[in-house]
Amino acid sequence: MMAKDASEERLETLAELVEDAPCGMVITDPHGRLRYVNETLSRWLALPARAQDRPAQLPDLMTLPGQLFYETHLGPMMRLQGFAREIACSLKVEGGPPLPVLITGVARYDAAGDPVRFDYTIFDARERRAYEDELRRTRRKAEELAAIVRTSPNAILSVDSTGCISSWNASAEHLLGRPFDAVLGRPVQEAIEFEGRPDWFEHAVGICETAEDASFEMVGQQGYHFEVTVAPIQEQEQTPSSRGYSVVLRDISKRKRAERRLHLALDEMKHRVKNTLAVVAGIARQTLPADMRSGFVARLHALSRAHDALAEQDQEGADLRDLLAFTAEEAGGHERFRITGPSVLLPPHQVTSLSMALHELATNAIKYGSLSAPEGHVLVEYDRERHDVGQIRLVWQEFNGPLVAPPTRQGFGSKMINSVIKAELSAKVHFDYRPDGVRCEIVFTPGTAE
Amino acid sequence: MIVERNQVVVSGSPEGQPIVFIHGFGCDQTMWRQVAPMFEDTFQVVTYDLTGMGKSDLAAYDMKRYAELEAHVIDLLSIMQELDLENVVLVGHSIGATIALLAANRAPERVASLVLVSPTPSFLDDPANGFGGGFSNADLAELITFLEVNHLGWSTRMAPTIAGQPAGEPSAEELTQSFCRTDPSIAQYFGRVTFFADERSAFEQAARPALILHCRNDALVPMQVADWMGARVPGATMKVLDTTGHAPHMTVPSDVVGAMRDYLAGA
Repeated sequence: MMAKDASEERLETLAELVEDAPCGMVITDPHGRLRYVNETLSRWLALPARAQDRPAQLPDLMTLPGQLFYETHLGPMMRLQGFAREIACSLKVEGGPPLPVLITGVARYDAAGDPVRFDYTIFDARERRAYEDELRRTRRKAEELAAIVRTSPNAILSVDSTGCISSWNASAEHLLGRPFDAVLGRPVQEAIEFEGRPDWFEHAVGICETAEDASFEMVGQQGYHFEVTVAPIQEQEQTPSSRGYSVVLRDISKRKRAERRLHLALDEMKHRVKNTLAVVAGIARQTLPADMRSGFVARLHALSRAHDALAEQDQEGADLRDLLAFTAEEAGGHERFRITGPSVLLPPHQVTSLSMALHELATNAIKYGSLSAPEGHVLVEYDRERHDVGQIRLVWQEFNGPLVAPPTRQGFGSKMINSVIKAELSAKVHFDYRPDGVRCEIVFTPGTAE
Repeated sequence: MIVERNQVVVSGSPEGQPIVFIHGFGCDQTMWRQVAPMFEDTFQVVTYDLTGMGKSDLAAYDMKRYAELEAHVIDLLSIMQELDLENVVLVGHSIGATIALLAANRAPERVASLVLVSPTPSFLDDPANGFGGGFSNADLAELITFLEVNHLGWSTRMAPTIAGQPAGEPSAEELTQSFCRTDPSIAQYFGRVTFFADERSAFEQAARPALILHCRNDALVPMQVADWMGARVPGATMKVLDTTGHAPHMTVPSDVVGAMRDYLAGA
């Protein structure tokens, strides 16, 4: 037998290289009809052995979406530019999941310049596709978050560990009136100044040492009110010394304006209540007979003072201690009217009714009780109940007055205490007409300001 | 100016009947290079790139506006208006065919007739109404993924080299995948608009007569969709080309030119 000559051996090697190449190789005519599929690709796709059972067209090897992409992109590119590079696509595998591949193709032309065949190489892209899918998912998530920051109505910026601005969203440009380029790398405290707080950022960082974030309200240079939140950006790969901070500025100017308007309206209301009471007192002075006049006007006066107490506390209520101080004044000073008890904040409706009750008790004591005698005095003791700290027990005790006899009829004062106070305060009221001095016990639950 | 914005090219006989070519999804007006010039002898030939595709001004692609095919329809009507075209033949491929048909429905007074190359009213299956567009939601979602991963040489940093091409022969410029490429985010977006478009009712209300060219083996448009159009599109002349694929104007351009000539001569 003759030895194979060199060119024969070379042809065999080339045939083997093509058939068993580490990639798929395909030749089609310009219409996409399959002319040749190498062994490697036949094996990957588990193509039938007999040629007549095999798909006829290159797109037939592709999944449906792959066919769409072939028809709209790959095919036209091969025709129009004569090549396509690294096109990601998926091929159908008999009895298995689709095979992600990368297709590269080149057109071959005859002497007249017409395409005669398209040659393709097809690479297995499973690993690459898995990696890309993961990248794509991560990127989409990052883009989503970035979009939230970008379109947020709040000014959001990041500040590096040295306190300098490293990024700045569109709302920051808008609210703070400066483009990003103008503030990039500048100390945040210089770029954003707040009234009376030049060290706001250092201060916030200090708070973040022990808390998750620092949140406070500030007034900006252009009169905006901001709620500022500073929080450390926790990234795994960062040491505490190199960590940056996020700064979020929420424009609360509208809320602040509304609050101011509300304040003005409230002040106006307080003013009108006092005026109305003064007018009513004036009418009473001119209309009522002399014997009834002073009592009525005194009651109105007590009511008016209760409103004063409320006004001072900014309408959120008044302290029981202050109400008793008014009563002490009425009763002739602290010499004759001693008070012991803690500070207890009462809501407006309890303030008015309780101060009226105290006024009645004081008036009664001045007219008939201990305060009608030169040596007499009143002791008011109140505190939270031991067994129920939600309740207040207030004891009014008169000493050194004239001998007490239980009343034969109910005057306005005790009616008022018994009905209104019980109703308004949901209080338990108990009178004890001891011969040596009246004792009145009021037990109630201080309400919360609404 | 819409003429610059959409890379509008006018050729042929200035006095002839205007014929406007609208390309489909994926490429640009070069798709018509073997068909459009054949009409220059008697027609005033107009080709252009859809906004967002080819050499059109990509900055004009406002995603919100182009979420609807309507925006492309208005572009086409503006081009006809700008060039003062009357009695126009609109030739559209695939989604371009849908754009042509919508334009004719909106401005029938300007349009004489339509040539729809591989059209479909909807790619999506609608089993509830017995319509088999050919593709499920999942198929189309995967296509969108291909559009996302295939940037087609969009990245300008990519070296313009290609395997199998003798070095130095075509210029480096041509070696980049310059055809059929656009900003991948636009390709993806327009792909979504294209493949999820359902214009069945517009096809059923076609205001102008149309020649429908359908390839017998079209992987994108099943024969039953062609039958649906033959039965439902008023004034339609159905011509089935005995060929494979979705782009007969590229694979069998002479068949397409012949069928169009016959139809337009008879009109």
